[in-house]
Amino acid sequence: MIRLDGAGVTVSLPASGQARTRVLLHPTTLELAERRIAVIGANGSGKSTLLRLLNGLVLPSVGQVRVHGLDTARQGREVRKLVGFVFTDPLAQLVLATPADDVELSLRPLVRDRSERRAQALQLLAGRGLAHVADQSVYDLSGGERQLVALTSVLAARPRIVVADEPTTLLDLRNRDQVRDALAALEQQVVLATHDLDLAAEADRVLVVDGGRILADGKPAEAIGAYLRLVRG
Amino acid sequence: MNLFGLYVPGGTWLHRLGVGWKYLFLLALTVPVLLLALPWPSLAALVVSGLLLASTRVGARLAFALPWALWVLLAVLAGYQLAIERPDLAVVVSANLVTAIYASRLLTLTTPGPVLIDALVAALRPFRRLGVNPERVGLAIAIMVRSVPMLLDTVAQVRQAARARGRDRNLFALVTPVVVRAVGQAQATGAALAARGLGES
Repeated sequence: MIRLDGAGVTVSLPASGQARTRVLLHPTTLELAERRIAVIGANGSGKSTLLRLLNGLVLPSVGQVRVHGLDTARQGREVRKLVGFVFTDPLAQLVLATPADDVELSLRPLVRDRSERRAQALQLLAGRGLAHVADQSVYDLSGGERQLVALTSVLAARPRIVVADEPTTLLDLRNRDQVRDALAALEQQVVLATHDLDLAAEADRVLVVDGGRILADGKPAEAIGAYLRLVRG
Repeated sequence: MNLFGLYVPGGTWLHRLGVGWKYLFLLALTVPVLLLALPWPSLAALVVSGLLLASTRVGARLAFALPWALWVLLAVLAGYQLAIERPDLAVVVSANLVTAIYASRLLTLTTPGPVLIDALVAALRPFRRLGVNPERVGLAIAIMVRSVPMLLDTVAQVRQAARARGRDRNLFALVTPVVVRAVGQAQATGAALAARGLGES
């Protein structure tokens, strides 16, 4: 369960030099309990800001964000153990040179024995059909393979919630379907931002963000309809 | 091409050797020749590092190939030493540089990244009393090694973009975007680490 509460969560960038204070997210109160939640909206609408609030990568200027009762501002470390985050560009996310090394890095806090850790990393990669690329450079993988490795690394830390920021944006159709299937099969609660309206339509709930405000919030058909009216008039 | 090489699974004696010994090999092959600065010891260290690399059986290209930019650097360094009439130093500097890369590859080609981190963390543990966080230092060094190909990739992309606009001879047009992108990549890596709860005290 994720709550954005208090007087309404606001995110703003303070004034700097000649630039005025910029509000990235206007006062927002939300309770996110559904198993699959999609966030849609134009580029720069505030989708990523909203998602980054959920694991404390962005902290609220006003209000509180609570994840399973933990405050992201005061208990960020604990929150990040609960919330796995998948970025748009997997290359930015994969911090070690090979898939096996990267997954093993996620397992470090959980598994002390080195050979056991390696074995688990290889097993997790094999479970996603990535055994053949386990020791290749992450630069030599396809976009879909990279995103699946990033997802495997995130899941290796055993999060209870997975937040994904446009995980299929950089992918071709085949790779997009692979990542989509992988996300659909997760047991965890998933909150994802996407431009893919087919993917959003599979969610239990869809939020439409525009200009840092939640413009629509509801079942996929009505929320996507509101988004299409906003864009196409 | 990865300058330092990526782990290649195998069963050779160097793959089985403890990582501590491999770090010692690295130091033994690189530090004395720096202090001696004599051509024959430098050439000997180069030959030994080459023979050791060959014994890893990872393939000649992975073991010995060097990026073109490094050949340019070697030519510039050797050319400078020859211009100041120090052919002995031309040999020493070039041989030591290549030896350092080959000796690093001995370690990285035969040892998985997390094992390198574990060894560094163990070696740095005594310095915890001085405020050193071994986990953080190990992670930082692993990320540094991973960042080298990322930076080379960025330079290649920026060169292509500059060439497409006919500005590949303008140094400013090359350096500025590389620096901006490198800072952006560092920020993205920081966000990725924070998102995974890594490197947090």
